[in-house]
Amino acid sequence: MKDTTSPADQLDELVSVERGEIDRRIFSDQEIFDLEMKHIFGRAWLFLCHETQIPKRGDFFEAPMGTDNVLVVRQKDGGIKAFLNTCSHRGNAVCRAEEGNVRNFMCTYHGWTFGLDGELVGVPGKSLFYKDKLDLSRYPLRKVAQLESYRGFVFATFDETAPPLEEYLGPTGRLGLDLLAERGDIEAVPGVQKFVVDTNWKFTVDNVFDYYHPQITHMSAFAVGLIPAPPEDFVDGGAKTESGANLEVPFLPTDLHNVVMVGEYGHAISGPDQDSLEVNTGTRDPFAWRYKPDTVAKLGKHGSRVAGHPHIFPTTWVTANGQLSLRVPRSPGVTEIWWFSFRDKNASPEQQAALLSNHIHFFGPAGMLEQEDGENWAQSTLQTRGLQSREIPQRLKMGLGTSEIIKDDGLAVIDAPINEHAQLWTYHAWREWLRNPTWEELRQRTVPGERL
Amino acid sequence: MTTDTAAPAANQALEEVLLQHEVEQFYYHESTLLDSHRYEDWVSLFTDDTHYFMPLRRTMTRRQLHLEFTRPGEMAYFDENKEFLEKRAQKLATGTSWAEDPPSRTRHLITNVRITENTDTEMVVHSNFMLYRTRLKADIDQWVGRREDTLRRTGAGLAIARRFIYLDQTVLQSANLSNFF
Repeated sequence: MKDTTSPADQLDELVSVERGEIDRRIFSDQEIFDLEMKHIFGRAWLFLCHETQIPKRGDFFEAPMGTDNVLVVRQKDGGIKAFLNTCSHRGNAVCRAEEGNVRNFMCTYHGWTFGLDGELVGVPGKSLFYKDKLDLSRYPLRKVAQLESYRGFVFATFDETAPPLEEYLGPTGRLGLDLLAERGDIEAVPGVQKFVVDTNWKFTVDNVFDYYHPQITHMSAFAVGLIPAPPEDFVDGGAKTESGANLEVPFLPTDLHNVVMVGEYGHAISGPDQDSLEVNTGTRDPFAWRYKPDTVAKLGKHGSRVAGHPHIFPTTWVTANGQLSLRVPRSPGVTEIWWFSFRDKNASPEQQAALLSNHIHFFGPAGMLEQEDGENWAQSTLQTRGLQSREIPQRLKMGLGTSEIIKDDGLAVIDAPINEHAQLWTYHAWREWLRNPTWEELRQRTVPGERL
Repeated sequence: MTTDTAAPAANQALEEVLLQHEVEQFYYHESTLLDSHRYEDWVSLFTDDTHYFMPLRRTMTRRQLHLEFTRPGEMAYFDENKEFLEKRAQKLATGTSWAEDPPSRTRHLITNVRITENTDTEMVVHSNFMLYRTRLKADIDQWVGRREDTLRRTGAGLAIARRFIYLDQTVLQSANLSNFF
């Protein structure tokens, strides 16, 4: 490829599902980033917050939507609205707190004041200076095009032609949120972790599906027992340390039993099968919530087997353990990571504390897993910038083309050993989003085929 | 004689200076352990029932400023007992804790040390800190904040029975918190 043409004009070459190769430039190119903001984040349903974060009238939470920030606000009638955090007069933010409770939003530049519904209700000097000629009804805060909740998870889109949320999520996306909602009568734990990594957002997304990396990346967490100690089996091929010693890479019973689901618009789920996970950890206790008859019925025969990570395109990761993470693109090389934690209101204080402790110690900036992930993502991003380095493609070839996709119970399911199918599916969908097709075209192009 | 009344006051002042000196030296020793990667020795400075906690901080208006920090039981960056601190130290020692291998270079600067409560067995000590970190070739991070410690007198000297760490950042401007505060 020559640098004289725009990467955006070469979408077919940037992502090759057939070869399992991704052009590194998509992780650093500004033009690509701008297209992503427009064609993906300007259209997709994006997660904003959980309803329990804003329970009372006037409660608000500021959430990112692409390059914009919106205020998600609990209304007087109990409903929820979201609008851009920018004054209709001169553009200042009308709210500079991350969350809180208010009666109004007042711009601190000239005092234009907006109600909880975003309507302009106060303009200083309305008669004296504007001679009562300003029609306040014409200048509300700009609302998102559509806002909907699925089981308490609030999403919005800037595209009024986007399909309804449930249709957008499809069976795969809904299953992802069900796997969190079915844990009980859930509520958000107060506080959202937010931190900045020098990486492209897509690295933080495809890593969600990667079950090839924990044994090496998170080796130190295995070593101190944070993750249940693996059996004394090691994978072949081997890794050697800088001093030549064999680094024994654990082989887990789950490694040969992964379940992948791929869905329309780019949603996916990937990771271990629940039964093999229980063999691995030797316990069923933490999973009691999964075995209630209603939950088994709700999750379905394939959903009940999922112990991996669901991801809702483009940036919402539902973890296997009761958390949700947003990967917030800020520029081609900078991404904010946001972590939401959930608990079952009816769980005992001990159970709630144990789960929260697990959340704090696994993920987030001090998490004993995600520290190492952040290091990887930053390094991967850095090496997309070298003029020579970036000519080398990213390679997602594990299991390439070997897996049959079974269409069953509304889902597109693959049973296989550890693989890179879901990563590749995400990039396939990413490419189709960037072409900016109609919603129906986009759906058709992201219907899973026969194999991956 | 004037010394009759002045002596107890002078003694008390001297005791306070000596105590202040002892506490500051304890912190300098602690910082040295951290900055020379002696993490397991550092953990041994904590009591077995210690609580090491770093809440989240949120940008809130002045009216709601009492809510800016999360509390125990809510989301946090660190919420550690002694066992978790030991695990973290062991993890750093494995040689496979890649976010700290090659290790980052840190410098802990401790200032504004104030002993706000003092009983026979325990003291409450407030201090400010700056943690400066460089990593790999060009990464630079720094965190400024304050700590509220409970220091307990033990047979082996002072020990940290409680440490709450309050950072002066809301959205963390670093990729991780792979160091101790």
